[in-house]
Amino acid sequence: MNPPESLPGPLAGLRILELVDETGQFCGKLLGDLGADVVKIEPPGGEHSRRIGPFLDDIPDPERSLSFWYYNTSKRGITLNLETTDGRQLFLRLAIAADVIVETFRPGVLTSLGLGYESLSKENPRLIMCALTPFGQTGPWRDYASSDLLHMAAGGQMASCGYDESDVPNAPPIAPGGGNAWHMGCHFAYIAIMAALVSRSVSGQGQYIDTSIHEACALTTESAIANYIYRGEVLRRQTGRHHAAGPTPRTQFRAKDGNYVCALVAGRLNPRYIGQLADLLDSYGMAGDLKDAKYQDPAVIAANTSHIIDDLVASFIASLPAEEVYHAAQQRGFTWGAVRAPEVLLDDPHLHDRGFWKEVEHPELGRSFIYPGEAAIFNGSPWRISRRAPLIGEHNTEIFCDELGLSRAELAVLIENRVI
Amino acid sequence: MSQPRALANIRVVDFSWVRAGPWATRWLGALGADIIKIEWPENERGRLPSTTTPQTLEVNLNTSGNFADTNVNKKSLSLNVRTAKGLEIVKRLIAISDLVIENFSSRVLQNWGLGYQELCNIKPDIVYVSMSGYGHTGRHHHYTTFGPVAQAVSGLTYISGLPDKPPAGWGWSYMNDTGGMYGAMCALTGLYHRNMTGRGQHIDLSQMVASVPLVGPALLDYTVNGRGTFRAGYPPGNRAHWPGTPLVNNYRGPTVAPHNAYRTSPGEYNDWCVIVCHSDDEWQRLVEVMDAPSWAASPKFATVIGRLQHQQELDEQIEAWSMTLGKYELTERCQAAGIRAMPVQSAEDRVEHDPQLRYREMYLPIEHPALGTYKVQNAPFKLSETPASNHLPSPLIGQHTQEIVEGLLGYSHEELRAGFADGTFWPTKRARFPYMEEMLR
Repeated sequence: MNPPESLPGPLAGLRILELVDETGQFCGKLLGDLGADVVKIEPPGGEHSRRIGPFLDDIPDPERSLSFWYYNTSKRGITLNLETTDGRQLFLRLAIAADVIVETFRPGVLTSLGLGYESLSKENPRLIMCALTPFGQTGPWRDYASSDLLHMAAGGQMASCGYDESDVPNAPPIAPGGGNAWHMGCHFAYIAIMAALVSRSVSGQGQYIDTSIHEACALTTESAIANYIYRGEVLRRQTGRHHAAGPTPRTQFRAKDGNYVCALVAGRLNPRYIGQLADLLDSYGMAGDLKDAKYQDPAVIAANTSHIIDDLVASFIASLPAEEVYHAAQQRGFTWGAVRAPEVLLDDPHLHDRGFWKEVEHPELGRSFIYPGEAAIFNGSPWRISRRAPLIGEHNTEIFCDELGLSRAELAVLIENRVI
Repeated sequence: MSQPRALANIRVVDFSWVRAGPWATRWLGALGADIIKIEWPENERGRLPSTTTPQTLEVNLNTSGNFADTNVNKKSLSLNVRTAKGLEIVKRLIAISDLVIENFSSRVLQNWGLGYQELCNIKPDIVYVSMSGYGHTGRHHHYTTFGPVAQAVSGLTYISGLPDKPPAGWGWSYMNDTGGMYGAMCALTGLYHRNMTGRGQHIDLSQMVASVPLVGPALLDYTVNGRGTFRAGYPPGNRAHWPGTPLVNNYRGPTVAPHNAYRTSPGEYNDWCVIVCHSDDEWQRLVEVMDAPSWAASPKFATVIGRLQHQQELDEQIEAWSMTLGKYELTERCQAAGIRAMPVQSAEDRVEHDPQLRYREMYLPIEHPALGTYKVQNAPFKLSETPASNHLPSPLIGQHTQEIVEGLLGYSHEELRAGFADGTFWPTKRARFPYMEEMLR
């Protein structure tokens, strides 16, 4: 059940300072959407991630990056130049009152500015500071440059994703899209921060966390590591299905409308399943010989696996639109799904039932837009987007004047001097 | 273990099976929570079938390598929750626990008599995380998922691949791993909230729904700009942009070239590297590392627009060079010059050849009573005061039944023996493992 809108989120009362580039902003979004007061600190003029497209109406502008919009919901935004003494002093005043700092500077940078955990925690021993970097704070690769694609290569994602030779000859290993290296790093960073917060809620002590995106990715290939460690196997890439030590039957079938269906059939073919499959196919007049009594013999099933999958299931799916196959199969208990382009999700009634889509106001534009919402429904403290991403320095007055007590005149001087 | 643990004194009743749920509780266990895995051999999914049992061992409930890696830091209680007696025992356990977590389909716990209201009756501030495929709310709550189905339905599969080819998708259940991440995230968030307010709650997580925010920028391009992903040149494989198609962002980062995978020497299956240049300056440094070949001096490659327009030729020329080097040597040469390059690494590469993972002690051996000593994966975060660690090997099924039933719950040894005799702790018709006979002495 959806909770009342008036309840605070589960992280209400926490103050997070976010000093991150495009690699860490999803972590701050998670914290913010879950109710924490996330203050994003950008360099004067705005963080570089504002320059990543696509842009509103395709007009490039740091206030129109949809990528920035998406990953910075539920945050407030201020600008601060940490390379100036004034900037560092203001940051120290914010750090004293902060619960968590998330930062993605290269290893050593904050310490060289006098803003490392050791000095900050002297003033604020409850402080939790999470560094999220491509390779961590130590080791031979710690200063190496990275990108989403680089992490998907080194982390093992690409070694597992690609095509059957019969589908795409000489295909390269494929890095799935969407910027998921950053997601993987941010999920683990969020877990580490929350563990430190739970610990602090008992002990009163903060701590320093060194999170590595490379390690997060290297952990995210399911059984690939176990296959190697326990059996010495290196797995092969296959079209639209699991990596495997040897070829496995296909699970992705083209439907009548040109879309694909993910139908996990192989490995489940026993007499009972065949009976259900025959009923499903028969309801569309597509059962072929599958209702024949011979298929109650497991040996006959095994000998006809290719016929069942590549002839009967493939023909059935080819005769219908993908969405129809998906729902007809699921309604009968089959764990199948349509391979959808993301935009199709806007019409998914299940997501509407869950209140998933959120209308987020952009008052400066006089418009509001639909955003994807939350992964889970918390019935006692809602996970929800509280506001659109901040404009550059949007909350400078709120934070520096109302909270830290600078006068408007002082703020003006600091802006003139590119401190703020 | 001298250092304190982040989740010391947190007890978790873990009904989860297969991968996503167990992957969630693995991390809670690594952080110090006491994870009690409730299992029943007759409907076990996760231990069997196993394709990761070492070739030298018999496949049985205790010899799956993937299960062993997924279930470190847990204890196992074998218990038939579908009997009145089993249900009573699990309720006593819940009454002294902090978190209940499960990844069954949406009505299973409720049908057992363990729905959220009943859990609250047993333990008023319980945090309950359900991790079903479609969630407990919404008209398709009864639909079921495996990772690949959640990935397909949410758009994650579609955004992986080459244009005009079938989706390549993800070569494993990314949403079992990531669904597990969300399970752990939700559990920790709920526990923190409970510690601060004294109130528990039900967190209704859905594996399918959790996938959708991972395609956020593509969705915003549609809801804001009206541009769908069903278009020429999308997805662009490993490139930021597919040559000859409209210049549209692909939701992975800046639109640049080079941005691709290239073969390396000696040309075996996983001999590939990736190279990305985010600026003209990075490109010029790559030219130098390639020993400034004459082709690279052409003005058509001097600008990012030129490199995007002539990407096919650019990639062919780069690959002619990359084929002369091994992927690690190429990586080191490029990175020394400040160029973004990395090897494509198989599991073997990560475990055996990756100097960074070795330095950071990503894979350390642990002794398992049935498998022997094998490496398991460590945490990607280092907490200075309460570090995560793998302190317990994956449990044998029912290994801790006596410890939990007698030690923790205070039942007598006679009651334990009676429970084995009447099928509460192990099916009466199923052969017992030797360690169970030990318990019954």
